[in-house]
Amino acid sequence: MVENRPFLAFLTHLVLILGVAVVVFPVYLAFIASTHGSGDFLRGLVPLLPGPHMIENYARMLNSGLSTAGAPPVWLMLANSLFMALTIAIGKIAISIISAYAIVYFKFPFRLLAFWLIFITLMLPVEVRIIPTFKVVADLGMLNSYAGLTIPLIASATATFLFRQFFLTVPDELMEAARVDGAGPLKFFRDILLPLSQTNIAALFVILFIYGWVQYLWPLLVTTDSRYYTIVMGIKRLAAAAESDPYWNLVMAAVILAMLPPVLVIIFMQRLFVKGLVETEK
Amino acid sequence: MATIELSGIRKVYPGNVTAIHDLDLSVDDGELVVLVGPSGCGKSTLLRMVAGLETTTAGTVSIGGAVVNRLEPSDRDIAMVFQNYALYPHMTVRGNLEYGLKNRGTPRTLIDERVAEAARILEIAPFLERKPRQLSGGQRQRVAMGRAIVRQPKAFLFDEPLSNLDAKLRGQMRVEIRRLQRTLRTTSLYVTHDQLEAMTLADRLVVMNAGRIEQLGKPTELYERPASLFVAGFIGSPPMNFFDLEYLREKAGASLPTLSDDSDIIGIRPDSIVLADPQEPSIPLRGTVELIEPVGGESHLHLRLEGSDQLIIVETPGRPDAAEGTLLTAHLRARALHPFNRQSGLRTA
Repeated sequence: MVENRPFLAFLTHLVLILGVAVVVFPVYLAFIASTHGSGDFLRGLVPLLPGPHMIENYARMLNSGLSTAGAPPVWLMLANSLFMALTIAIGKIAISIISAYAIVYFKFPFRLLAFWLIFITLMLPVEVRIIPTFKVVADLGMLNSYAGLTIPLIASATATFLFRQFFLTVPDELMEAARVDGAGPLKFFRDILLPLSQTNIAALFVILFIYGWVQYLWPLLVTTDSRYYTIVMGIKRLAAAAESDPYWNLVMAAVILAMLPPVLVIIFMQRLFVKGLVETEK
Repeated sequence: MATIELSGIRKVYPGNVTAIHDLDLSVDDGELVVLVGPSGCGKSTLLRMVAGLETTTAGTVSIGGAVVNRLEPSDRDIAMVFQNYALYPHMTVRGNLEYGLKNRGTPRTLIDERVAEAARILEIAPFLERKPRQLSGGQRQRVAMGRAIVRQPKAFLFDEPLSNLDAKLRGQMRVEIRRLQRTLRTTSLYVTHDQLEAMTLADRLVVMNAGRIEQLGKPTELYERPASLFVAGFIGSPPMNFFDLEYLREKAGASLPTLSDDSDIIGIRPDSIVLADPQEPSIPLRGTVELIEPVGGESHLHLRLEGSDQLIIVETPGRPDAAEGTLLTAHLRARALHPFNRQSGLRTA
């Protein structure tokens, strides 16, 4: 790719700019909508410049929400989503790194079977097993609780598999050197394996945080009490307010607010995230 | 300071593959014993059994007089240097050196003292705060050695520590390991597949083949009097030349020394074959020069023998006059012949 042809440069830039525009324009529109008054979007002509009601709209959504739609204030839904996403991400990482450690570094009967059993659950995402899972959660009395929101989503074959693959690339000699240096299994895990997995953990955290954040179906099923609504399912409720036109300006304010946390997570962890995906530790 | 005693050591891997057959070996206090052999001969397995990284199927391993079979590697008071260094990549050099001491609950002041001492001996003091990936291969190797010496263990175990270095550095580090071991006088077991490294480092050399000891002794003994065909072929570079006794007898006539009856194959080192008539009992062989390899002070001549089509190597000082393709006569010194029996593979006299 050392050729320097102006037309080619123009074409590649055009394609990239078009691509960005396609992705960004709806987001921009959402933002514009969130700064206008309630009627502005129903007039048929979509405004393309920010309106004067931005602070008003956001303040209203954050503080009181749209009570006519039966939704709690957005800050509560944001907090619920944040709690859910964090718990799922941290829980998944904690459980899968430990199980991968067991599978890779310890010899126990049916080790391979254990690995494959974990691996097979990849074929059973939440949507497939949703009814039995719901039944179990309901019988355990975990409906309308944070436990019910998070625990069923924590077990993770993907993360276990990724950690396993990473551990397999760590040279055996490192473990042997640690054994000679007097580090037992826990010490080896804490002092050597965990620091080495840092970038992998960061990359997984980003992915899993977003996975937790965008959960829609599961929160919709297990929560009926509005105190436990998460933001992604909340938006749906806001938009589907009965017997009136949706307040698009307010809905869009909620949408913009809902997008912020994942964006922030990616911005702040991007460096580690890319490193985790690209770098192989020597 | 301690001895290492191995008696009746056997290692059987799952699937009934025997890697080590009832092996006995003792390493004296302060001695450096080198295990050498081709890959798969069991030398690394043996070392790892001493370290406690492999279990022993049968036999006992004692270090410093105490049986350590059931002890964890860390409780055997040994230090190991690995081929790929196995430095902890996320720790600084200092962290790497300290780790073993910290795990043993060594007091801070003593740790600092030991690390400073090791850094001084190995000249790695300027890199103490760097990460391993910022170091060159030779420096990493030094750190790996440093990690071994800070512990002041009963024994050092080296598992092909120089294999990852380039030739020049390997030579340098070899001398350094030798010097270090002489200074510290720590009992050492050293595994390598490089016979030059083995010859130059060893107080005593153990040549292993297929899980058994072929021969054990001083490097010069092994070179001058190999006990088997395998050792004869393995030790020495360029390798020993072998002839059928019948072929030599035909060429030699009276100059062939008397050999025991069971000898049927004769070896001779390339440096015992001369081009000029040596004025002593010798066997003349004619052959065509196929290749001349100048290696500085000497040259290796590859000679295709007349009549037998066999290729032999002659080591000759300086540069020979003969050009490739010429026919010349090489003389095998009669007193430098090594007789072997093909069947048993053993030396016959």
